[in-house]
Amino acid sequence: MAGKSGRTISATPQGGIKEKIFSWEGALILLLIAVNIFGAVLSPNYNMTNILRESPRYLAEIFMLFGMAFILVLGDIDISVGSIVCLTATMGCLVSNKGMGVGAVILVCLGVGLLCGMLNGFVATKFTELPTMIITLGTQIIFRGIAEVALGDGGSASMTDIQSIGILRAKVGPVPLSFFIVIICAIIFITVLNKTTFGRKLYAIGSNRTTAYYTGIEVQRIRFFSFSMLGFLAGLCGLFLLASTYGANTTTGNGFEMEVIAMCVFGGIATTGGKGNIIGGFIAAFIIVCLRIAFGQINMNTQLILVIIGVMLIVSVLIPAVTNAINSRKKTKKA
Amino acid sequence: MGEDLILELKGITKIFPGVKALDNVQFQLRRGEVHALMGENGAGKSTFIKTITGVHQPEEGHIYFNGKEVSFKGTKDAQELGIAAVYQHPTSYPELTVTENIFIGHEIMKGGIIQWNEMNKEAEKLLGRLHANFKVTDEVGALTIAQQQMVEIAKALSTNAQVILLDEPTAALTANESQELYRIVDELHEEGVSIIFISHRMEDMYRLAQRVTVFRDSQYIGTYDVDGITEPELIKYMVGREITDMYPKPEVEIGEELFRLDNLSKMGFFKDVSLNVHAGEIVGLTGLVGAGRTETMEAVCGITKADSGKIILEGKELNIRRPKDAMKAGIILLPEDRQKQGLIMNWGLGTNVILPIQDELANNGFINNKKEWEIGKQYLEDVDTKAVTIFDPATSLSGGNQQKVVVAKALVQKNMKLVIMDEPTKGVDVGAKAEIYAIMGDLAKQGYGIILVSSEMAEVLGMSDRIYVMCKGRVTGCLDVEDASQEKILELAMEQSGKEVE
Ligand SMILES: Nc1ncnc2c1ncn2[C@@H]1O[C@H](COP(=O)(O)OP(=O)(O)OP(=O)(O)O)[C@@H](O)[C@H]1O
Ligand SMILES: [Mg+2]
Repeated sequence: MAGKSGRTISATPQGGIKEKIFSWEGALILLLIAVNIFGAVLSPNYNMTNILRESPRYLAEIFMLFGMAFILVLGDIDISVGSIVCLTATMGCLVSNKGMGVGAVILVCLGVGLLCGMLNGFVATKFTELPTMIITLGTQIIFRGIAEVALGDGGSASMTDIQSIGILRAKVGPVPLSFFIVIICAIIFITVLNKTTFGRKLYAIGSNRTTAYYTGIEVQRIRFFSFSMLGFLAGLCGLFLLASTYGANTTTGNGFEMEVIAMCVFGGIATTGGKGNIIGGFIAAFIIVCLRIAFGQINMNTQLILVIIGVMLIVSVLIPAVTNAINSRKKTKKA
Repeated sequence: MGEDLILELKGITKIFPGVKALDNVQFQLRRGEVHALMGENGAGKSTFIKTITGVHQPEEGHIYFNGKEVSFKGTKDAQELGIAAVYQHPTSYPELTVTENIFIGHEIMKGGIIQWNEMNKEAEKLLGRLHANFKVTDEVGALTIAQQQMVEIAKALSTNAQVILLDEPTAALTANESQELYRIVDELHEEGVSIIFISHRMEDMYRLAQRVTVFRDSQYIGTYDVDGITEPELIKYMVGREITDMYPKPEVEIGEELFRLDNLSKMGFFKDVSLNVHAGEIVGLTGLVGAGRTETMEAVCGITKADSGKIILEGKELNIRRPKDAMKAGIILLPEDRQKQGLIMNWGLGTNVILPIQDELANNGFINNKKEWEIGKQYLEDVDTKAVTIFDPATSLSGGNQQKVVVAKALVQKNMKLVIMDEPTKGVDVGAKAEIYAIMGDLAKQGYGIILVSSEMAEVLGMSDRIYVMCKGRVTGCLDVEDASQEKILELAMEQSGKEVE
């Protein structure tokens, strides 16, 4: 039965291909292409083989992008992941130096990462009134502190057995193993966020936590799960970093949290929660990686690279705000 | 004409993307009169108010103030002429104090320094004028809704407004608090302030206004003297048809006991609340704001947890720890605050409606768009929402239509046994109200139990089989509807038992 007035409401979605191309993701793909052309012009060594060879260190960082996207969509933030990477790589290295096999190293890295994530999740869900920025600032200091204690006076540890961990550096042709992991993660996480009711619950919590709670969504369980998941991915990152640098020191993973958050924000995921899409973050990650490799090849100062990425980040946040303002003005005029 | 008009609007047209919210409407406000503006949800009333205060700029039309044409680029322009408004959805800052809220945007300054003492004194004067019973240093978030409204009115007065616009000031108020508001309006009227107010309540209009203007479907229908118009006539102008039965309560065979509360208590909120609901019964729960009605119902639904007592559904005691447990058991809550608890405002209407049942509609966890759209459309139409598509964001709807979406969202849950509706018709127009009552009747007929939490006396008396009254966290009485009257309810609601919740 329709209402008394007999009004009907359309249920046909509007918008089509045009909207897709002119979306933020579309713009990012164009930018990715542009960055690659730019890289090729800038550096004679900028080609596929070299990019793939240099990529593992960056790819490991991208693992965390997926977990961070969940956390940001929830309206939370986790700035402890860099320290988790440090702690897991340290523990993995120490375990390996005790003479244990690669299986134990993998287990320790992933396990420690998961535990750290669970701790973040536990505190965040038990003390809901605390901002997660503060909670993870605390654990950031704690995790790195533990790693520093474990590393001892020298502040660094190197692996004595670099052979057995070699399986993590395995390649299919020129393509490193971590690349496949990134692709598989991307498929899984993008599908979950866009196509499943679980993904929508994340958006609901990030958009209006109170309404989500009143609607019967298990807000705290989902937040706990997401923090744990991100911790696990940070452990995975620590593991692969260990495999490509054969050791850990007190600066391992420094600043990773900010880089990962930057990738997400650049990709259109709002830190205020409830908005954005991993696809954008995923493309943005590759833009940043390609830029770094290109600038790295011409030996540009790393600080300068950070400045450039910082500027891009601010511009990327400004553009949608400005275009939105213009669009809404246009629309009101036209209608 | 010879009429002394302080404000006149002619040929106003306001367009939002895809909607003409105002279509060539006119309005005349005489100096010193109280003028009611009425019409269905989405008729354009709030939009009209916002064009007078400069929030919206109309596409066409002329505004005359004291006979001179003016145009408002922003809210400042209107403010300078002495026009102030209290909007439908509060715009106050809950973390700031009363003084800060009152003077935000026009602080008293001397040489670039904010004069706190002077502002506090000024604020105290304003509150005194309104006979407010709270302090200027209180945080606004800690006040009741009625008190927050007083702050907004004080804010309007602080600009020395000549014209005050009130958008549904009584929607969130109980009968008693409405009396307070009436008194304030009366006093302003005596001081010569010209007032436009919007309300869906007939009694407000009869009590306060000299004239009433009706809008329907974005158009101006007419302006009438309140003395010369009957209620059915007015409803016909507003709705475009006649409403024969405002409270369509069907004859229902009341079944067995469905739900019972035994001595439910929560420190500081409610104590020893016992009540029961039978299958097919509509039970009213009323009292003054702050009586603990909402808090009790939130404990039943797992939003908060009671300290002690039993919640019993169909003879079995429930252990409800979170909202999901209550929903699984079949207890559905329609929350009080549509914007903060009911909806995700920037989401589409359809998704909002199906959110509670999205898991049931999904295929192994994957969203089933087709099914969702179909059901969303159906339920939104059932409650007669005024919207273009189910993808419109909730922000684009008028207040009353947002409320209808909340109702649809509650109804969509199929495995319900007990439905708790907290102020389900807040801000809803007469036509749609009758519609929501019809839905309630339907639910009762199907054997569900219903608890209607409401401050609106007419609705409680019109729809309930039995009425529980709460006061200061306790149930002070239960009346059969045949024996109930407004006086009896008020007596129970204000009973000075002397016992506060400890
Ligand atoms: N910001 C907006 N964007 C798009 N459409 C809007 C916006 N604000 C209002 N509308 C539309 O304009 C119309 C009039 O809305 P308005 O809020 O003025 O109604 P109202 O008469 O105040 O209703 P109610 O009694 O429910 O408060 C509605 O159809 C509404 O959907
Ligand atoms: Mg309105």
